[in-house]
Amino acid sequence: MGSVPWYDGRDGMYSWIWRHLPGNGWVKALLSLVLVIAVVYLLFQYVFPWAEPLLPFNDVTVDNQ
Amino acid sequence: MRSSVKGRGNVAATTDDTEQHDDGPAAPPPAARRRMGPVVAAVSVFGELLITAGLVLGLFVVYSLWWTNVVADRAADQQADKVRDSWAQGPGGDGDGPVSFDSKDGIGFLHAPTMSGDEILVEKGTSMKVLNDGVAGYYTDPVKATLPTSGKKGNFSLAAHRDGHGAKFHGIHKIEKGDPIVFETKDTWYVYEVYGILPETSKYNVQVLSPVPKESGKEKAGHYITLTTCTPVYTSKYRYVVWGELVRTEKVDDDRTPPEELR
Repeated sequence: MGSVPWYDGRDGMYSWIWRHLPGNGWVKALLSLVLVIAVVYLLFQYVFPWAEPLLPFNDVTVDNQ
Repeated sequence: MRSSVKGRGNVAATTDDTEQHDDGPAAPPPAARRRMGPVVAAVSVFGELLITAGLVLGLFVVYSLWWTNVVADRAADQQADKVRDSWAQGPGGDGDGPVSFDSKDGIGFLHAPTMSGDEILVEKGTSMKVLNDGVAGYYTDPVKATLPTSGKKGNFSLAAHRDGHGAKFHGIHKIEKGDPIVFETKDTWYVYEVYGILPETSKYNVQVLSPVPKESGKEKAGHYITLTTCTPVYTSKYRYVVWGELVRTEKVDDDRTPPEELR
């Protein structure tokens, strides 16, 4: 009752994630690493290939459009 | 839920503090529990979002300039091996028979020793899907390229990436007038000499692909080659164009001895 169970209004989203990972410090660190790798994988595999053609960095041809 | 919890913090204590009065004295929060008001919490989350955005943009740079090269070089190597294999397996270059075009597998290799030491596989088309495999593509649109293997006069126009996706034309600015560009097919080396360079032109300038590229100073039909890519480096604002003209052709011998320009 005295402590707030899931959010106590003192931190941002990253420490929120950290506190909600199970296990001790090492397990949390390992899980964080897995999360980071998963996010990077999703970005490289899906998000960036999708975003790249929308950005004007890599058009190499001449055309009349 | 979030806001009601925050509402019990010090800043907004007046809104919802009855509960706090009840159990506050009985169970005082630990000293470390410094609570934020809604404004501070919002700023904090906003800051973390900015950090996240910065990391994502940084990763995008890594992706564009490094990872796409890894993927593209892998794809290009595989396809190049396939082409080399099919050349090796095919009937020996005994006659002037029509060169087999596997439009999907690539038609030959481009060598531009002053630009890069690598051979660049040439495939059909200049769509991103083709070029992202780390190859050079010959134009089919808006101006159709004339392939040197056809023997006809015209312009063999090519495009490739300047950065990322193999960055095959990254060093295009190193090419100078008089430099050789060699196109290798199964049976023949086509040796071109660079005679014209346009360091910056509009991306709508399709005239550079014409069978007789007037902008390069040529008036008569001939066997030309045109390399296009984007410029300045890391952007796509303009196009960089290099023109060459066929000097001679050389038969490929059994050892595939390269012409002297490549030695």
